[in-house]
Amino acid sequence: MTELAQAVVNGLQMGFLYALVAVGLTIIWGLMEMINFAHGEFLMLGMFGAWWLSAGFHLDPLLAIVPIALAMYLFGMLVYQQLMRRVQGGDPFTQIFATIGLLFLLQNAVVAGFTSDYRFVNDTFLQKLGGVRLTLLGVTFAVPLLLAAGLALLLFLALYLLIERTEFGLALQATSEDRDAARLVGIRPQRMFAVAWGVGAALVAIAGAILVNFFSVYPQVGLQFTVLAYAIVALGGFGSILGTLLAALLVGVIQSVTVVYLPPAFKDAFVFASYLLIGLFRPQGLFGRF
Amino acid sequence: MARLALVLGTLAAILYPIPLQIQGTTYYQTVGFLVLITAMLGVGWNVIGGWAGQFDFGPQVFFGVGAYTAALLYVKLGVEAWLGLLAGVAAAAVICAVLTYPLTRLRGHYFAISTVAIWMIAQPIGATWEYIGAAQGLFIPMKAHAGIVGSAVALQFSGPTKALGYYYSALVLFALTVALMAWVERSKLGFYFRAIRDDQEAAESIGIDSRLYKVLARSITAGVFAAGGVLYAFWALSVFPEQVLELNWSTLPIMATVVGGIGRLWGPLLGAVILIPISQIMSTTLGTGPLAGRGIDLIVYGLIIVVIAAFRPTGLLSLPWARWFGRRRPAAA
Repeated sequence: MTELAQAVVNGLQMGFLYALVAVGLTIIWGLMEMINFAHGEFLMLGMFGAWWLSAGFHLDPLLAIVPIALAMYLFGMLVYQQLMRRVQGGDPFTQIFATIGLLFLLQNAVVAGFTSDYRFVNDTFLQKLGGVRLTLLGVTFAVPLLLAAGLALLLFLALYLLIERTEFGLALQATSEDRDAARLVGIRPQRMFAVAWGVGAALVAIAGAILVNFFSVYPQVGLQFTVLAYAIVALGGFGSILGTLLAALLVGVIQSVTVVYLPPAFKDAFVFASYLLIGLFRPQGLFGRF
Repeated sequence: MARLALVLGTLAAILYPIPLQIQGTTYYQTVGFLVLITAMLGVGWNVIGGWAGQFDFGPQVFFGVGAYTAALLYVKLGVEAWLGLLAGVAAAAVICAVLTYPLTRLRGHYFAISTVAIWMIAQPIGATWEYIGAAQGLFIPMKAHAGIVGSAVALQFSGPTKALGYYYSALVLFALTVALMAWVERSKLGFYFRAIRDDQEAAESIGIDSRLYKVLARSITAGVFAAGGVLYAFWALSVFPEQVLELNWSTLPIMATVVGGIGRLWGPLLGAVILIPISQIMSTTLGTGPLAGRGIDLIVYGLIIVVIAAFRPTGLLSLPWARWFGRRRPAAA
């Protein structure tokens, strides 16, 4: 029983990290309905940025969040303006291919520059807290993960308020619902899309900077997180920020509970099996509006 | 004019390895084998992706199903490769139909994710199922064959004719695939597929059962991937999960299809002829130098795909070849 409770707690903690990776995708894919297969590469760039700032300038990944988020915000806007704007009007397939091309380009540019070696960020603030554990009713909480989860929750709250409670967020939603109508009331859709790409890229890069505290960095690191992020966004329902958070927690719990009973190889398989099962009864995801 | 291009292309494909073989080189035959297998898978993917318009990211599952079926039949029952190929194609088509029918409730992005989901579930099954060798996989033992004919019947070539033998086997399978798909494209089936892609509601309103035809389209794709898997398994003399369930078995054919022209019968071949040699040339020219193994070929792939998507999303075959080259060069449509 304690084992199961521990697995659930561990899963919830991982779930917050997954949520962080998925939320950038919720904005670009879920809300603005643009496909981004290079999402994992944005994450990888964030992780590499954090590693570089830590190895070269001894900047703690938690502090590195600020420059990385700014840089990736600009990079996301650049990707939209230079590439995605061109393919936006066409067949959805074109977006898929443009971003798959981007995936290959970014991933292998980093391979060319840094090789495929695994890199580790050492002696970070969160890692130094590694020994500190809280025990409650026999269940252990690792403080670094707990702090990371808290950070993720804060970011989520900020994003939720931004999208649901500010004029900017409403303009973003209006653009995603009807571009022409949005233009009529004075919203510049292209600008909205560019900002959405910027925010999406910045968020996932922040996720990267937090993840380097727990995972090694290498050019192909994005894939393992993005396949989950895709399932999470679809499971939560496109465009639903709250749905993304809950689906991410669910995915984290499914993974950690699966590992208790089955070989570790199956931990992602059960996540996707649950996605299929839920998808068959609720094709629009748990909290999807359409 | 298009017929002339077909005849010349066929002749070139049949004849080019012969002087190389006499000279004693086998490298370019292997490159040709990889080009053809990629093109063949691309032609198969065109059915679900190009004609039926459903984004399928998990056809490599059926590449694996085909490879495993034929290898199991060969290792456990001694069934010859070509019979195993038929069995593999049938198994993949049936398994695909059963798995895909429920998925067709999902549309667009959700369907795409669900094909990835099937792949994610297939991987640990392949890696842990003892009967099919788990992570170790299956090894396909070579048997002695009487001459070229014996080798061709068993789909097992060795020694200096290995590359040539598999090249021609791939050519035969590719030709069969293209012929079949050309027939599908012009049949009622092909029109139904494209009707669903262009407007699913309209297609349903004239009585096309969209779910049934999506399943059919994906099963055809699965069958082609299974055939490719069998060929690859006998070439590699082994089947194991990390090899046959690799993501490249879907990304490379899909990229070839996009570069050549999505939804066009000959698009995947053009794409494969451009893409696969790039990677091969890169790995030979870079050798063991400082840039070897740094993914330079994949950077070039990425650039090509990005440029095509941004400027000519309908692919290279959709360029106005006829207008540029007039009657001297046929339109490759």
